[in-house]
Amino acid sequence: MMNTTKRVLLTLLLCSVTGLSPSLAPAQTGGEILGQSFADLANLPDWSGLWTPDVADQRAQAVENSTPWTDNSAEEISFMLAEDVAGRPAGIFNDCLPEGMPTWMLISHNAFEVLFTPGRVTLLGESDSNRLRRIYTDGREHPEYPDPTYHGHSIGYWDDDTLVVDTVGILPEVFIAITEGTGVHNGGDMHIVERIYLAGPDTMYVDIGITAPHVLTEPWKTRRIYERVRGFDIIEGICLQGNSFNQLDEDGNFIFLPTMPE
Amino acid sequence: MIHFPNLKTIGFALYFFSVSLPAASHHSFGMFDMARFEPLEGTVLAFQWTNPHVILWVEQASEDGSESKTWGIELTSPGNLQRAGFSRRSLNPGDVVTVIMSPLRSGNAGGAFRSIENKTTGMSYEYDYAKVGSVQ
Repeated sequence: MMNTTKRVLLTLLLCSVTGLSPSLAPAQTGGEILGQSFADLANLPDWSGLWTPDVADQRAQAVENSTPWTDNSAEEISFMLAEDVAGRPAGIFNDCLPEGMPTWMLISHNAFEVLFTPGRVTLLGESDSNRLRRIYTDGREHPEYPDPTYHGHSIGYWDDDTLVVDTVGILPEVFIAITEGTGVHNGGDMHIVERIYLAGPDTMYVDIGITAPHVLTEPWKTRRIYERVRGFDIIEGICLQGNSFNQLDEDGNFIFLPTMPE
Repeated sequence: MIHFPNLKTIGFALYFFSVSLPAASHHSFGMFDMARFEPLEGTVLAFQWTNPHVILWVEQASEDGSESKTWGIELTSPGNLQRAGFSRRSLNPGDVVTVIMSPLRSGNAGGAFRSIENKTTGMSYEYDYAKVGSVQ
């Protein structure tokens, strides 16, 4: 990887040519955008293996981390936390719709893996019916009018060994959740910036900045920790599978029943 | 394919269990009293290896053996269990087991899995909910 000073100079030069804002300009190496060729991928950090969340830290943060909720959201969150403690958790994900962004990164209890291909970083998760995030690192900008989705539209660039990801275009119904039973709908106009990097040989930090003007009074900066696991594969994770009942039909075919048999 | 040894029993148990739980859908474990560790002795009816939560169905006989009660014990996801040393073959119908569970706060016949001793195979499994990456 090149030194920071050289990278900044090249980034500024690129910005002047492309008109990209400095925060979103792709990092450069040898005159190419980093990660644009298969040979260039060898210069990226080793993020192989599976990344499993530090759930104990998630739980501690749900109680201790001060999220700048608006008054209405704070009231809702407090109520849901109390209900969870009382044994009546809100079923905000019972419908098995995807957690989406930023909740995947905030509260997931399942692993993900990272694939590097030229011009793109892909996160493949184990839950939410094998969710994925496509992060375009080919220098493109966000669409002017992105179609809102659960995971939004993500573009990124490499700042040395840190992947900086900028995400917009997230459905307003998607939760900002701090536990699996506590969260509020983001309300739209959400903007997420992540800095993803290795804090140790097998520890990944995801520093997340969330701007959600309908539910947060100011940008919320938080960190989530993932630990590397080797020797395992991501497995299929179909959320509604557990609500289906396998049975044989009258012709002897294996079928799933959406409701329990009589 | 999960082989249910007694579908009607399981069906009844699912119905009974679903009153308190959203079956196996994606949810918080707040309905369980995780501070309690209760033993449950019985026979495995099925080990439902499904996402997002694996469920162990255990039939508990009454003291005189004249009646039985079906318990649903909820575990984490197959992926997390695999990384903790489980497989879909760790528990099989007919295995005699002692489960340590955190029971439903509602008092219904369900709980969150903590550990198990499989007396049929001699294997024991434990799940550490505080362990990194290995929680429900």
